[in-house]
Amino acid sequence: MLPSNLLSARLSRRRFVGGAAVAGVALAAGCAHEDDDTFGAVGPAEQFTPPTAKLSGTLRILAWSHFVPTYDRWFDGFVRRWAGQVGVDVTVDHIDLGQITTRVAAEIYAGRGHDLIQYVAPLPQFEPAVLDLTDLVREANRRWGPQLELCRRSSFNPATNRYFAYAPGWVPDPGNYRRSMWSKIGLPDGPSSWDELLRGGAEIRRATGVQLGLGMSQELDSNMVGRSLLWSFGSSVQDAEGRVTLDTPEAVAAVEFMTRLYRQAMTDEVFSWIPTSNNQGLVAGRLSYISNSISAWRTAQRSTPAIAADIDFLPALAGPAGAVAAHHLVHNWVIPKYATGAAAGQEFLLHYTANFAAATYSSMLYDLCAWPSRTPELATWLQRDPFRADPPGKLGLLVDAARWSADLGHPGTANAAVGDVAGSFVIPDMFARAARGEVSAAVAVADAAAQVRSIYARWRARGLVA
Amino acid sequence: MGHHLFPPRGRRGRDRDRALASLFVVPTVAYVAALILGPMVLAVAFAVSDVTVADPTFDWAGLAGIERALADPVFWQALLNTCVITSLTTSLAVVGGNVVARLMLARVYGRWLVRLCVLLPWVTPVTVSSVAWLWMLDSVYSPLDWAGRQLGLLGVGESVNWLGRPSTAMASVVAVQAWRLTPLTAVIIMAGLVSIPRNIYEAARVDGAGRWLRARFMTVPLTAPIVAVAGLFCAVFTFSDMAVVRVLTNGGPTHSTEVLATLAFRRGIDGGDVAQGAAVALFLLPVLLAATLTILGLVRRMVAR
Repeated sequence: MLPSNLLSARLSRRRFVGGAAVAGVALAAGCAHEDDDTFGAVGPAEQFTPPTAKLSGTLRILAWSHFVPTYDRWFDGFVRRWAGQVGVDVTVDHIDLGQITTRVAAEIYAGRGHDLIQYVAPLPQFEPAVLDLTDLVREANRRWGPQLELCRRSSFNPATNRYFAYAPGWVPDPGNYRRSMWSKIGLPDGPSSWDELLRGGAEIRRATGVQLGLGMSQELDSNMVGRSLLWSFGSSVQDAEGRVTLDTPEAVAAVEFMTRLYRQAMTDEVFSWIPTSNNQGLVAGRLSYISNSISAWRTAQRSTPAIAADIDFLPALAGPAGAVAAHHLVHNWVIPKYATGAAAGQEFLLHYTANFAAATYSSMLYDLCAWPSRTPELATWLQRDPFRADPPGKLGLLVDAARWSADLGHPGTANAAVGDVAGSFVIPDMFARAARGEVSAAVAVADAAAQVRSIYARWRARGLVA
Repeated sequence: MGHHLFPPRGRRGRDRDRALASLFVVPTVAYVAALILGPMVLAVAFAVSDVTVADPTFDWAGLAGIERALADPVFWQALLNTCVITSLTTSLAVVGGNVVARLMLARVYGRWLVRLCVLLPWVTPVTVSSVAWLWMLDSVYSPLDWAGRQLGLLGVGESVNWLGRPSTAMASVVAVQAWRLTPLTAVIIMAGLVSIPRNIYEAARVDGAGRWLRARFMTVPLTAPIVAVAGLFCAVFTFSDMAVVRVLTNGGPTHSTEVLATLAFRRGIDGGDVAQGAAVALFLLPVLLAATLTILGLVRRMVAR
């Protein structure tokens, strides 16, 4: 230990002040670097509308760990500021996307836990244990106009006439492709149809060994891309009334097409797909096309700018029956019946929706609002990306993304059976079994349809499916 | 003439000992009842109910859930996979455990380091080690593939894609389970080897028994019960584990690595149908019960000897 006089000799006041100044600058630089994730862009100002009733007590929020880290930093501060304004003691816990369903199940079954829970896919299977949020949605519609249809369908069950969740936002699922690779085969603007995807993807793979990245595994992205293909071929898991309609020639045609796609343009890597696989593969230059949100490209902007500049986006691919893509994610906020902070939770959700422009901005245009009037500048941002897209209008196609996007239950609405079918990964398995040659496309569809019918029968018996 | 240091106790004394012994056992019995027996009874009850995550009210559903499980081809695939993974893992872990146990007993410099390294896979939480293996077996960034490419076993840009094919995915799951459980079997077997009195070996050596004869007629019979216990522990841990499969393959590709534990979790928690999940999990019970009874029998025989 240094004697105090030696310490004072070595650390004079002048040197201390100088050192502190340098440390302060370094700290500021560190913070600036953190903020630099958004390339220095400054988001819209937050608005505060006082709650209709006086709030107090505590509010515990469970939210997913966002793929765009700047969003979580913004969200935590946003919650803190609101909590200070309304006098509620709020805590926010973020957990990994893959853990949320398990956590929700555990908390709901135990009858204690968080008051407000956010997931990024419909949670209709928990409907009997969560509050009906019809009044909240009605209030939001009164304030900001009609909710986007795909968000409404992802949170409303017509069989029970209840909003089992509040869906203030969603994330589109455009095609991400490597312009340089597709230019070489004469499609610089990428494929516009599933047929072009097959032809071009096969040619690129033959020439360069680079494959397409459409998962056929037990994970979220595989669920989405499988549905997009089914819909584009004129089939679906259920019809608008919630009747199972999977066992059709159109579904068999879709499965046969996916088999061709796999054999000519992919490798068995797609059977071990995890949610980060397409991001990794695209950024590593190992994939020519993926169906994903913009997060992979945002990652590349920072890690591999040259690849980011080469990535471009496409709307839903056209098939024989049209061009429909599943949403990538849809926000589902639920309030369990046990929640003691339910009133504060609902007020927070209104405040959050009112400020969705800031949420969209903080997520670097990843999250879009279910009430478009809340993000009046969205089209400007998408056509001139504030986060240095190269070229700046790269995301322009997302302006009308809702037109070519659909919810998981399309053409019907989300319900417990839709959630269970998604959670059981019946659709990716159906495609994978045929693609791997385990069974014919017709058998794969028939088996999947039998599983789906069994799931629907179970939930129908419980009154949760029409 | 000698006298007893501890004179024989009377009947009252023996009764008091028994009562005290029973009292000491009470915490263990309570613990087992609360944390093992209770959940087991609950699982059986759920399997014959219609309980869901969102609606825990118990309504009798009879054997409908079990019939539904039996009619599901994925269930049979999961049952088969569970048995295959368990038997392969157990075989590998027992053989590996024997080798490692001898390594741990070898008189070499840095033996403590060898023992530490051997035990690391066992003391690392299974989810953490599974995530590490997930990256080791990644289709893009696998260091194993990189090493293969450096050694010329794989072409430029080529990867094995360990988790994307049923055969390699199954092999990966078995390998990770064996890697995880070999230290456990090694420690148990090492304890068995240490417990064999050295003078028996010395007598055999004096009688002219060579290394092979000593191993064949002494080491193997004397360690057989403890090896069996190690194997059974290994089988129980593998049979009931879901973490490795859940993290590495999530049952894929196309359920080729699905095991009963992951299927029960998927149906019961992810799908929200607790009754169906419990019905699937119920099939773990007879095998685990049989294994437990066998372990207890072997231990009793060892104690008696």
